[in-house]
Amino acid sequence: MRIIGHLLVRGIKNLAENKGAQVLTIGAVTLVAFLCGFFMLVLFNFQQIIGTTQNKVQFQIYWERGVPLSEVHKDWEQIASWPVVKSIKTFAPEQALQMLTQTFSDDESSSSSEYVSILADNNPLPPTALVEVELSVYSDAGRSEGADQAKTLLDRLKSLPGVDRVNFNPLQVDLARTWLKIVHAVVWPLIVFLLSLMGMVVGNTLRLFHLSHQEEVEILNLVGASRAYIQLPILIAGALQSLIGGCLALIMLKLTHLVAQKMLYVPPFWLKISFLPLPYVGIFLAVLILVGIISGLLAGQSSYS
Amino acid sequence: MIQVKHLSYNFGPYWALKNISFELDKGDFLFLTGPSGAGKTTLLRILHGSLPVTRGHVQVAGFDLKKLPVRKHYLLRRRVSIVFQDFKILTRKTVWDNVALPLQVRGMSSMHIQKRVRAVLRSLRLDHKAECLGQELSGGEQQRVAVARAIVVNPRVLLADEPTGNLDKDLAWQLLEVFHQFHIHGTTIVFATHNEEIIASNPQAKVLKLYHGQIVEASWALEEKT
Repeated sequence: MRIIGHLLVRGIKNLAENKGAQVLTIGAVTLVAFLCGFFMLVLFNFQQIIGTTQNKVQFQIYWERGVPLSEVHKDWEQIASWPVVKSIKTFAPEQALQMLTQTFSDDESSSSSEYVSILADNNPLPPTALVEVELSVYSDAGRSEGADQAKTLLDRLKSLPGVDRVNFNPLQVDLARTWLKIVHAVVWPLIVFLLSLMGMVVGNTLRLFHLSHQEEVEILNLVGASRAYIQLPILIAGALQSLIGGCLALIMLKLTHLVAQKMLYVPPFWLKISFLPLPYVGIFLAVLILVGIISGLLAGQSSYS
Repeated sequence: MIQVKHLSYNFGPYWALKNISFELDKGDFLFLTGPSGAGKTTLLRILHGSLPVTRGHVQVAGFDLKKLPVRKHYLLRRRVSIVFQDFKILTRKTVWDNVALPLQVRGMSSMHIQKRVRAVLRSLRLDHKAECLGQELSGGEQQRVAVARAIVVNPRVLLADEPTGNLDKDLAWQLLEVFHQFHIHGTTIVFATHNEEIIASNPQAKVLKLYHGQIVEASWALEEKT
């Protein structure tokens, strides 16, 4: 415990040495970490936006004309009770006609009024419902789960007694999935690439530090210092560089988020940009620290003899 | 404590050591002598684990150096201290820091470190220089700091490469006295020197003379123990 405390202090002291190089490294780490965080933020919000729009599918259900309205009401209640259903708008034939009449009322021609009065006597409109459901396009269970869900739902709606036909647009689900696939395929490799870059920058600085302290390392070897004793301060310095860079990057990211939030919450977008949730921030910092430690480990590999 | 069997070592085509064999028991004092380039420093570095055993067998303080992996060399160096000809002290650190380093590495308490460092500095007449940086010291003082750093941990084996080379006569004798004190307390000492006077000062010590990497003279029978 005493040794770890001593090494921790040495790691912190190492950061205070050669301030110019440390500032440049932390600057580079901050910028790279900011870019990683920015891509994560974009990806996160993209998922959110797609989640709130693209994975919602609307089913338009038409009942056969002449089905008793009490039966249709039962169907509506049953549909509304399904967990995937987010909203349901129902239209009895009279309601549908009323809406149609309202549409025609804007048209002041006499022929329109005639049609409406004819339709009122013999209403051709069936009972309908507009059902909005949310499908799990991001489910890990299976890539086509969203489409499968939609298909199951379609079959279920069609099997309801008195249902004449059901319309929906399956393309929407596929589109959402395709977009996400593209974004994931681009952003994650990019993040890995940037983290590797950061690792190299941190590793190089630590290696230079190591070279400038070669004499000390050699003497530590001579007096019986273990590999951990020699390397731990360097690992601590790497972890601290990454932590400081990561925290600065998060501050820059928050500022970017505030600016983007104002810029994009305007017509016609009305996009609500959210900041990374706390677990994401934790993972972000943990990964940066891990990269710093690995860089320190690699930088100090040849120091022990 | 030290067993060397058929040890040879080469730097490229040049053989620094050729078929060296000898044994030392606990508490033995060995003067290693011979002209420059005889192989004294190479032998000391092998005994300290700084050079690998490529031919032959070497056992020091219970460790078979041929089998000891590099990552565990620190265990050997916690039992075996060395004083190099070129001191190898941290010139940007104080005398106190230099001497305390091996104790810090071993995780000793600061109270123990203070007590031990103070005693060793006093025995080598360096107590008044405790706060001086290594670079502010003379060659002789740096030499004594290197010795202080080696003995502060009470090693089982003490290897010294020309430790009196930079000292005036008085300090050289004083340093030798410190080595004798350790010897009395059971430390095995290998002391490389050119100085015949110093060798003559300790008639009980064993003497091994090297020439071109070979043993040319030994003050005791070198037959191997079984």
